Amino acid sequence: MDSSIKLLLVLLISFELAFVQSIVVNILVIVLGMSYLLVKKVKLQKLLLLIIIPIIPVASTWSSFYVNGTGDFIHSAWLLSSRIYAYIILGGIFSFTTSINDLLSSLEQNWHVPSKFVYGTLGAFNFAPRVRNSMLQIKTAALMRGEVLHVWSPQIFFKAILLSLRWSDNLSRAMQSHGYAENNVRTHYRKQRIPAWNWVLFITIFGVFQFIVLKKLP
Amino acid sequence: MDKLAINDLTFSYTKDSDPVLDNLNLTIKNNTFNLLFGSSGSGKSTLMQIITGLVRTNLPNLGSGTILINGQSIETWTPKQFVQEVALLFQNPREQFSMSSVEDEFVFTLENIGMLPSKIDSSIRSALERVKMLDFRNRDIDGLSGGELQKISLAITLAMDSNFIILDEPFANVDSSSRKELILLLKELQIQDGKTILIADHDLSGYDHVYDNIFHLYHHQIAALPHPEKTLAYFQSDKDEFHFQIPAENQPGVLHFADFSLDAGSKVLLDQIQLEIPTGYRILLTGDNGTGKSTLFNAISHLHPYKGVLTYKNKEVQKYKTTKLSKEVSLIFQDAQIQFLKMTVSEEIELSLKHARFSEIWSPEFITKNLSLLNLIGFENHIVYQLSGGQKKKLQILEMLMLGNPLVLMDEPLAGLDIESVIQVLDMIKKVCELQKQSLIMISHQLVGTKNFFNYHLELKDKNLYFSERLDDGLFD
Repeated sequence: MDSSIKLLLVLLISFELAFVQSIVVNILVIVLGMSYLLVKKVKLQKLLLLIIIPIIPVASTWSSFYVNGTGDFIHSAWLLSSRIYAYIILGGIFSFTTSINDLLSSLEQNWHVPSKFVYGTLGAFNFAPRVRNSMLQIKTAALMRGEVLHVWSPQIFFKAILLSLRWSDNLSRAMQSHGYAENNVRTHYRKQRIPAWNWVLFITIFGVFQFIVLKKLP
Repeated sequence: MDKLAINDLTFSYTKDSDPVLDNLNLTIKNNTFNLLFGSSGSGKSTLMQIITGLVRTNLPNLGSGTILINGQSIETWTPKQFVQEVALLFQNPREQFSMSSVEDEFVFTLENIGMLPSKIDSSIRSALERVKMLDFRNRDIDGLSGGELQKISLAITLAMDSNFIILDEPFANVDSSSRKELILLLKELQIQDGKTILIADHDLSGYDHVYDNIFHLYHHQIAALPHPEKTLAYFQSDKDEFHFQIPAENQPGVLHFADFSLDAGSKVLLDQIQLEIPTGYRILLTGDNGTGKSTLFNAISHLHPYKGVLTYKNKEVQKYKTTKLSKEVSLIFQDAQIQFLKMTVSEEIELSLKHARFSEIWSPEFITKNLSLLNLIGFENHIVYQLSGGQKKKLQILEMLMLGNPLVLMDEPLAGLDIESVIQVLDMIKKVCELQKQSLIMISHQLVGTKNFFNYHLELKDKNLYFSERLDDGLFD
């Protein structure tokens, strides 16, 4: 499925989930989502992390409703904690099975998102691995001058801001030197068309979801 | 017809600052090989960015004059028009790539100039083939060396079909064998493909049989170099001029290596090294790009893990606390700016004075003397980030030497400095190191002007590190 359609579907379902008062619907989303991830052969280790990491916020949500809740507090406790997991699985579906490159080029070609935004974001993503390394370098460089910089030292932020200003300047020069301009008409080597079956699938899944929601399951 | 004609070009970066270029005139003929020579900070980069449209001169009050490429005024050109007529290769090739792989960068570029998708594949293939880099099509940018990246950059200009190729200090991050190869490739592109070439370089070695014109950028203007042969000859260093002693045994040592190994990822850089580095000398460290010279410096200063024994003053380096070690070993980073912590030159000097081991040496007179040796007098209240590349480097070296740490490691401190500055800097390093009894190890590809500066020469080759009498052939050929 095209990544932009997938994003749209995930966003719509998440938005609707916020208003649905049904534990069963949440569990359905979790089970179906997990099976999709398994079919897509996402590594088991990643799936386990997806379940383990949110345990603390889920448990605390559950217990705060259980202890302090009023009305049907047991239902609320299970509803809210299962909803967190449903959101996490939906997020996992999007982030584990699409690439940022595909999403951005689909947004550019199918949804006419400005290329400035698309390539700016892509460029920034390509810079990301250098950030960690640069922070270590900034700290060591200062240490070599006899000064210890801590995470809270204003100087470390100043240096980081200077560095990112330089990077943003470099990136725009780099893009311009390879012919990029905001209002250029660009061609597309790798076409990202949205096939018709994507829309059919999108409408089917979303339709079936409405049907389930309207059933007013507990 | 002239490829490029510049008439009375004047340009300054801000309304109130002095012009970087002042009434400059330059004509370059079609299909010629041209060199632009000038010291660091003379405005070479600015001129090249103006010609390629990265800096616009038609902003009110900042610039005046006319620039014609192929007889057309560039004033209203769009970035797409620029790259199809004139391409620029950056000093640091890593900064010219915005995508993460070679193919993606090609595709991005060719889509920008509106090439038909059906032609993109063959265009990438033939451009890479022309520079003999076809195997690199699917490689990630991150894993490539400076020389490889410059060849890819060159291939991109071929794919864009720009007829005029401008290179801004293109060899600053390239080792000498790749430098030679690239110069020959550029000459071939001029002769066989009819390209016009303009290279800005502060180092004229290796150009003696290839150039048509040398222009000198000096005092904001361009003049033909009066005696090009003389100037060129100055840069043709003879490797036989360099002859080093091998240190005598049983001297007191500053660093001691035993079964020392170093690797980067899966690549072994150094294997089972046994070596004693004597204390109190100036030592040159050479080796091809990517052999692990900088990683060795990082290992000595806690920035990279190592295996085996490495002792500094008879104590294992890994057993030092990092803060303690930083008071013994100074690492002078290649990027000068990263080492600045204050805003102005005098504040920077003050900070170093605070941590100076031999503060009695650094009297105001002695500091002034060194600042004037480095031509930094009058810049005391300047913002450090606004100094030129060469000035930043000189200030960084001075303030790091002021700390007086017994061992100083310098990573390519001379890259990008013009010959005058190299001589000033070496002179200062020598005096200061002798005064404070410091040991120095310096990585440097740039050896012009370093004669009689170094006591010994360490060579890193084939995963081995050893003292050597001569320079490796590859360095000068």
